[in-house]
Amino acid sequence: MYEEPYRWVEAIENRRQYLSDQLKKGTPIVSLSCGDGILVLTFNRGTLKLYEIYDRIAFGGIGHPADLEKLRFQLLDLAHVEGFKRSPSDVTGSRLVKYGIAPVVKDAFEEVFKAPYISKVLICELKSRPDSDHFVRLGYDGAFDESSELAIAAATPEIESTMERYLKGSLKEITLDLNSVFLSALFTWAVGGLCQTEDASQSNLSDPSKYPDEKNIIEYLEMSLRDMSLECVFLNRTASQASQYREIYRDELVTLLPKSLQYLIK
Amino acid sequence: MTMLRQGDFFQLLKSSGHNFATYSKSLDTFSHKTDLPLTTGTTVLAVKYSEGVIVAGDRRATAGNMVMYDRTDKVIDIDRYTIMAIAGVPATAFEMARILEHSFKYYRRSQLQDLSFEGKLRALSNLLKENVPAALAGTGAVAPIFAGYDKEREATKIYFYDILGAEFEGVEHAMSGSGSSTIKGILHYINRWGGTPINKFSEDEAVTLVLRLLTSAAEFDAATGGVDHNAGLYPLVKKITKEGISIIDDSNLKSIFEQRVLQNV
Repeated sequence: MYEEPYRWVEAIENRRQYLSDQLKKGTPIVSLSCGDGILVLTFNRGTLKLYEIYDRIAFGGIGHPADLEKLRFQLLDLAHVEGFKRSPSDVTGSRLVKYGIAPVVKDAFEEVFKAPYISKVLICELKSRPDSDHFVRLGYDGAFDESSELAIAAATPEIESTMERYLKGSLKEITLDLNSVFLSALFTWAVGGLCQTEDASQSNLSDPSKYPDEKNIIEYLEMSLRDMSLECVFLNRTASQASQYREIYRDELVTLLPKSLQYLIK
Repeated sequence: MTMLRQGDFFQLLKSSGHNFATYSKSLDTFSHKTDLPLTTGTTVLAVKYSEGVIVAGDRRATAGNMVMYDRTDKVIDIDRYTIMAIAGVPATAFEMARILEHSFKYYRRSQLQDLSFEGKLRALSNLLKENVPAALAGTGAVAPIFAGYDKEREATKIYFYDILGAEFEGVEHAMSGSGSSTIKGILHYINRWGGTPINKFSEDEAVTLVLRLLTSAAEFDAATGGVDHNAGLYPLVKKITKEGISIIDDSNLKSIFEQRVLQNV
């Protein structure tokens, strides 16, 4: 039935619509470089969304947990075999995505009799300097884009653009420490979350004057902290050991949050 | 696939086409028909002291009668809490250490929990068993010491292995390499009749002990480098405590060596 080209195109279009719908409820992931390293921040509803792939590489994913696990394992296998056979320096996020999982995700997306990956993946790679840090975002269709300084994975490209603009506007300079950038990342996450709500989706997101004000953001964060868990990891540029990935646990999170939200940390 | 999801890096490596065991029939013939001098010769040791374990090793690598290298690192961090001290053929030993390092990292990242201390011991044992043909052919024998902090049991532990992969716990201490027979008796004597058991030693006392032992081993074993004070070349000495691994730096070793090894105290 798919031998006719237009039927194949129609099937792919249906699949694109299906996958976009599936990702609509995924909470955003915010990542950004600072002097000390890379902060990756999101909220989860019980299942972790941020993982360590290799010494300097973090993985964040929204979508179906089983699909994210499949991709995570492929990345782990590729990274560790490469790191052993060549060297840890040769394991890069860009190569892992471009020559590793992106072709796999694309094939699954275009094989209409095969289940696609319900996923959007963000790979963050720490380098020696903040302006060299590298981010790769991979969509459910295998398309990827690369960036430096910051990267967002959210339900739709429009929300991602809005969050990126908000985050860039809230950052003064790139060479800041974790404490300085944490609130910017947290507020950006909240802006993304608010954009996903039905009302906000009708508004003009490209207009900075329409960004939610701080009161709305704090209220949204209060609600989110009650319903979900704040999940943060930090790729630490100053770490002495090979593995530069560390989770930011409760005690440290409390010190990073605004006082009015600290009591909500689980 | 099931094996891969269990976090077994060694299986993953094999499935990727990597051939760990260096033994082959041609290598066997090569080894027996020629007097190829394989790089070997060492003294490595681990002793329990009041705060944890001190692991030390000389830095000489020899091939037959020739000193190949004087700055070999035979005391290798595998992760933040475990060390492998190597004796035997360096090519095989270094590869074992790299496989172990990746195995522990891969397990932690894929299974989202640390491999148990027993699991780490078993991983090294499995590598040694895979290496038996090369060990028996004389081209890849390795007899390592494995020491670390067991977070579950909140205790530091020392194990040593034979070249076939059998593991033994060194309750108080362990040693390996061509110079080990020299220091084995000394350690036993000091621990039993020295007044203070070694596991009650302070860090400085334990470091003094290992420097004296490696100096003694070098006295009787040409393949052990000992301490080259004039060249500022000291053994590699590391400590393992509940905080993890840290290195005793050369300035500390120099000071202890000058005050408590060179001087007859």
